[in-house]
Amino acid sequence: MTDIKHHAYLFDATRCIDCRACMVACSVENNIPMNKTRIWVAGLGVTGEFPNLQRSTMVYHCMHCAHPDCMSACPVGAYTKAEDGPVTYNPDKCIGCRYCMNACPFGVPHFDYDKGLIDGAFIDKCTFCPQRIYNGQEPACVQTCPTDALEYGDRDELIKRAHERIAAHPGRYIDHVYGEFENGGTSYLILSHVPFEQLGLPTLPETPINEVSEKVMAMTIPFALGWGAVLTAVSAGVALYEKKKNGKAAEEKAEPAETSK
Amino acid sequence: MTQTISRRDFLKLGAAGAGALALGSMLPPRAAQAARASGQLDAGGNGYVHSTCEMCVWRCGLIAKVVDGRVVKLDGNPEHPHSRGKLCPRGQSGLMNTYDPDRVLTPLVRMGKRGEGLFRKASWDEALDIVASNMLKIKEKYGPEAMVFSSTHNLSQVQFENLLYAFGSPNYGTQRSLCFNAMITAFLLTYGIEEPSRKYDDVEFILMVGRNMMEAISTSETGELAHAIDRGAKLVYLDPRYTKTASKATEWIPIRPGTDSAFLLAMINVIVSNELADCDFVKQYVIGCDGIQAEMRKYTPAWAEKITGVPAATIERIAREYAAAKHNALAHPGWRTSNFVNSFQTERAIATLNALSGNVLTPGGCLSAEVAAEGAGLGMPKQPPYPRVSALRLDGVSWKYPLVPLKLGVFQELRDAIITGEPYQAHGWFISRQNPIQSLPDRNKTLQAFGKMDFIATVDIIMNDTAWFSDVVLPEASYLERYDPLLPVDGKAYIRQPVVEPQGEARSALWIYKQLGERLGLGDYFQYEDEEDYIRQQLKPLRVSLEEVKEKGYAEMPEEPKGEITFNTPSGKIEVYSETLKKAGFSPWPTWEEPPAPKEGEFYLLTGKVAQQTQFGTQNNQLLHKYSDEPRLWMNAKVAAQNGLQDGDWVEVVSEVGKVYIPLLATEAIRPDCVYLTPGYGHLSKGLTTAHGVGASDSALHVTYTDPISGGQALSQTFVTVKKA
Repeated sequence: MTDIKHHAYLFDATRCIDCRACMVACSVENNIPMNKTRIWVAGLGVTGEFPNLQRSTMVYHCMHCAHPDCMSACPVGAYTKAEDGPVTYNPDKCIGCRYCMNACPFGVPHFDYDKGLIDGAFIDKCTFCPQRIYNGQEPACVQTCPTDALEYGDRDELIKRAHERIAAHPGRYIDHVYGEFENGGTSYLILSHVPFEQLGLPTLPETPINEVSEKVMAMTIPFALGWGAVLTAVSAGVALYEKKKNGKAAEEKAEPAETSK
Repeated sequence: MTQTISRRDFLKLGAAGAGALALGSMLPPRAAQAARASGQLDAGGNGYVHSTCEMCVWRCGLIAKVVDGRVVKLDGNPEHPHSRGKLCPRGQSGLMNTYDPDRVLTPLVRMGKRGEGLFRKASWDEALDIVASNMLKIKEKYGPEAMVFSSTHNLSQVQFENLLYAFGSPNYGTQRSLCFNAMITAFLLTYGIEEPSRKYDDVEFILMVGRNMMEAISTSETGELAHAIDRGAKLVYLDPRYTKTASKATEWIPIRPGTDSAFLLAMINVIVSNELADCDFVKQYVIGCDGIQAEMRKYTPAWAEKITGVPAATIERIAREYAAAKHNALAHPGWRTSNFVNSFQTERAIATLNALSGNVLTPGGCLSAEVAAEGAGLGMPKQPPYPRVSALRLDGVSWKYPLVPLKLGVFQELRDAIITGEPYQAHGWFISRQNPIQSLPDRNKTLQAFGKMDFIATVDIIMNDTAWFSDVVLPEASYLERYDPLLPVDGKAYIRQPVVEPQGEARSALWIYKQLGERLGLGDYFQYEDEEDYIRQQLKPLRVSLEEVKEKGYAEMPEEPKGEITFNTPSGKIEVYSETLKKAGFSPWPTWEEPPAPKEGEFYLLTGKVAQQTQFGTQNNQLLHKYSDEPRLWMNAKVAAQNGLQDGDWVEVVSEVGKVYIPLLATEAIRPDCVYLTPGYGHLSKGLTTAHGVGASDSALHVTYTDPISGGQALSQTFVTVKKA
């Protein structure tokens, strides 16, 4: 697995049996709180009339976009797109503004409303299991999938595999690999037997959304004022906030000491 | 949580047992210490340990990641044939069984009334003394047969059975009659083998009769089936419900419940009357080639259409497709086949279809009937012969059910005999890792049987319903905390070993049975010092050290010589025609028996399986609880509308023996004449803080019906009415 240039997933909806092993594996591997999840397996319900029925299942997962909208929306640079694929999030930088949630066309980043704005680590999303993929293991969700509905590998290789599968079974799949070009390409690729809208996936242009928005943004006030001024203002705000947050944490730490006396 | 009286309070009561220091010599092995010694964990208690899953009976190989002496992740062992690197949702959740906040971590002795949940903590010495003295009292007063023993499929079962045989009781209850009696009895009578294994490498046509493989997950086999479908193999799936397997099938046939055998007999009719069978194979290996054509003449597709509701043309076409695939066709034997009193005939028809396709023992065939002797090649501790048992079995095996194999038994009949006291009264019940209150049909009757008992002791890791109604609860170490005997699979003996230290006072079954055996005066039957010594004795003939097995996860076993094709039946051939059945007064041929059907206004109550739970034992696992759907009663959406019911309405479900309340799921995914209840819920025990109050109990509704040939319980033969609650 060391030769992977661009880490990616391939999800084949025809193989998924909605068993949710991936959800459990992800939760345990990443120690996700009991009220949270980073993967959503949606049994989209049975369609049709008895006895002519159909059932589809979709594993929603961070798409690890080539041009991540979460990243371009983030005012403090908490998101990073690694050259080898993963889109990662740094909780230490996050200020909890939730712009990324609005920006993501797939609704992936989730805000921890229980923790509020003070305790840090506000946003939760898939990390691509760096502790596993950089140690020769597959991501937790992929490794455990009993039917190989989830696969992991090099993006080019997976795209090739997906097209081969479509070619080998004409009629079984929609002739399209979702994520190959959507939003400028994603590292979570999807094969389906039903139209992708039916899996709850947005119809997206090949041009990344943020490429347009960044162009527009370039023509707005910050551009006129100069980025320097804006960033100064933002970093001042962040510093103020950090101070408040640390102060609060210090207060909390002080409390038990008082009561123990 | 269980109400307990603290040790201090108990001492005040003035009846203290011996302290913890007086524990028997058999201390639990220190997992971390042992794992460090064999190089699996580093000095800080971090590393990876090989072991075996116990979240169902498939027994996948696992690799546990341990950090600071705590298991933090389980992965499937890529080298194990049952897991191949994967674990299902239950396997992935396994560590939450170990870290369940509801674990019972000390022996408990009942204080209040049974079912009240008032227990006090006790030392192992005291608890074991109480259990042993009660068992001995019952033995002296009423004979050993007055003690009932029951346990469900597990790796330590061999030592549980050792305890019961040494004690001298013939009364042994297992889950088998609630599960696969029909399948095993039919395959034993037809092929002389309990359960043939399936091969999917070259399969082209798969017929599954209610085997919901995509929800009743057997990790490797579920994967093999998925890949076969992916490759283009045809799956024809019979089920009244549109399960997740149905959604993956090439063809789903929502057959009328109880009529599977009519469908299959008509398939056989088409195959034999058109001479589509593999004749060379059939003549060489099958008893019944001569008469089968005449015998099956009456079972035409047109006849079956009237019974099953499946068009005759469909049956004819499927039969021809099945036959055309020859030995690459597979009629899956199924697993839980306890559906109707005629389920044995369904299984006989399946066995026959496989014989006709020539897939059995044909090189490359999809069904393998080779006899794999479990545990052969492994050593065993020495022990004296068992005492002779002359008492009748309460479950009626031999004297009432002549064809039910001794080891399968008829658990529901055993329970009924406890209530009637016929042919004699049982007085005590020793239960290990089993939950008969939830698993047996007609829960009220099981509670009634408990009421007849002078003494009940249960071994478990949590307060399941059966433990809740027991007098003594003995806390077992979880499967990640203990050793069990080695498990031979495909030429290797796999280990289950402690991945972490047992919590609290929890101990392995091997330890508990030995301690109890010694107190019962049966120490000669338990000649092993501790769990490691037991496994060393098993390994002795293989000349492999325990340390090596601990590290590798398995020991290689010598290859067994493969002889000629023989079947372990009286004739040595496949007995589609069975003289044994005839002698016992049953039809020697696979035959049609009409099962009862619901009256106007009633529904078939179907039970089944969800991928996130195993029977009645995993609902308290917080991870599985988190990822399971809410339990519901499925009803066909149109029928629900006709009855003025809406999705989500609370409904009252009433059978002949019970009543439950549950929200409705109005769905197209079920036949109009059926309802389906998510199984395994409705726990009574308040010691299960996650599962208590969730869902409804299917066993509260199930009526007890026993198939006279296989002894299987007919779990789909319960009919219910449903109205708005």
